[in-house]
Amino acid sequence: MHHSQSEHYASQAEIAARAGQSSAAVDYYRLAATEEANALADLDSGKTRTLGITVISAAALWMKAEEYAQAERLALEWLGNKQLPEFAKIELRTILQSIWSEQQFQRMGISLSKRDVLVSLSGGEVVIGAAPLDLIHQKENEVCNIFFRVIEMLLGKPSRRRGGPSAEIQNQFRPWLLQASPGSYQFAVRIQQSPQMALFSGDELTTEEITAKFLEVVEATVQDPEGVLTEVVPDNDYRKAFLRLSRNLAPTGKTYKRLEMRPGDDRQASAIVMLPESRSEIDQSLQRATQATQTVAGVNRERIAGVLRAVHLDKDWIELHNNEQTVRIERAGDMIDDIVGPMVNHSVIVDVTVTSGKRYFQDIQLDE
Amino acid sequence: MWNELTLSTDEYSNMLHLPIDKVSERHWGLTPALAESYLEAARVILDIFHESPQRFRLFKQQEAFNALVTWAAADERCRAAWANKDDAVRDGAYLFALAASEVMLGWYAIRRAETRTGADYYLAPLNHSPEDLEDVYRLEVSGTRLDEAAVRQRLMEKVQQTRDGNSNLPAVAIVVGFKVRLILLQMVE
Repeated sequence: MHHSQSEHYASQAEIAARAGQSSAAVDYYRLAATEEANALADLDSGKTRTLGITVISAAALWMKAEEYAQAERLALEWLGNKQLPEFAKIELRTILQSIWSEQQFQRMGISLSKRDVLVSLSGGEVVIGAAPLDLIHQKENEVCNIFFRVIEMLLGKPSRRRGGPSAEIQNQFRPWLLQASPGSYQFAVRIQQSPQMALFSGDELTTEEITAKFLEVVEATVQDPEGVLTEVVPDNDYRKAFLRLSRNLAPTGKTYKRLEMRPGDDRQASAIVMLPESRSEIDQSLQRATQATQTVAGVNRERIAGVLRAVHLDKDWIELHNNEQTVRIERAGDMIDDIVGPMVNHSVIVDVTVTSGKRYFQDIQLDE
Repeated sequence: MWNELTLSTDEYSNMLHLPIDKVSERHWGLTPALAESYLEAARVILDIFHESPQRFRLFKQQEAFNALVTWAAADERCRAAWANKDDAVRDGAYLFALAASEVMLGWYAIRRAETRTGADYYLAPLNHSPEDLEDVYRLEVSGTRLDEAAVRQRLMEKVQQTRDGNSNLPAVAIVVGFKVRLILLQMVE
């Protein structure tokens, strides 16, 4: 009886949360948690799997009700109980970790999105729990850049070519890096929303919407760049920017072989998987998009590898060092700052067209 | 969009129907409000690719079924409420997975239990007590709007993920491919 009441309130909470009524959702979760705790008290403790499932359910409901002290007390009490099966103990420990993080953020007055994005890298030089610092720094930056692009798109801003996101946007939405449980090498990203809102017309945009859109964009970019991505990102400039940013994120297979992303709050969700093949598929898709708009008879195409040494986008050129020679590539002004910026002094591959001995920029990507 | 089906009245009534309506009347772990919400999500996703009715292929390991799916097209309000298509795919897949469990296994969601990151449904024959979860199966669901290869890949991932998980077994993994009208089911013991 108590459990069916709990189910009823938890379902109401889920519907309220989906409708954006977060305060009502928390109230329903509180009612659900109270009923589930009563159901737990009535349970036959000889049924260990039923017991484990119910204990997890009660602790999770107190956590979703933001009653962290109640959730913590219940989890700690049951962790010491020998009748609790191992799967329930593992889940309770994870719940405790989440509770402690949430309590800390609450004490500091920081409001982060509920949903986080888990990013994990594996293979190549990446081992369990450890990875080269420059690689991780680069991947964190790339994820951050995609987040800001998603925010700008959701706010209806034109696709940015120069500079970073505006100070207003950076003040209002701030990505946070969180430690994730060890697997391969994992980190989690969540968005902090400033309490000082209504600075501009994006005040109705929530961090949950941003995170959901981020995952939707990356998934479409990797899995169906010429189908679903056109529905998810109708604007051509944004679409190209997302394709380029995602291509950089995907492995070449040298320093790491696999990158996965998943919503940390949704165990049912499948991971978005990036493999070296994903990079070539995105690359081909970008080439088709570029060639479709820029095919000119009698123009040769070249692919040049080298180290990106100089960038002057306002004067429309970049320079590469290649076999001790300097190669200047013109008409680079269409490049986007947050894509090319992190590539300076790194090995890159540049696609160009060649006319009358001059090289004209088409595309650029990192070459690990 | 296309509608390949032209069925006579007899064919229509003789064909197996995927029971996506009034799911909460049979699956007691689902409330009427949540079932309605899942149905709205499914209608929005179905409308992207198809017109009602459509034939879906259902596979349970080596067994195959065909089932007819009928639905009312989503209206503007419904489409606006489900603007995020990933959410719609996820919740629509829950509905289809429960209906598939009903026709392929004769099992129903008898209980919903919360987890840190969402909720699990537990499946059992009708009239099984929701107070006893010792021998029931946990439902693992995934939905996609990608092609058939992606649906099959997703099932392999789901099964592996379930096996690698915290061992709250047994479980049933179900993957729903809305675009390609395909539902795959696998038991994970």
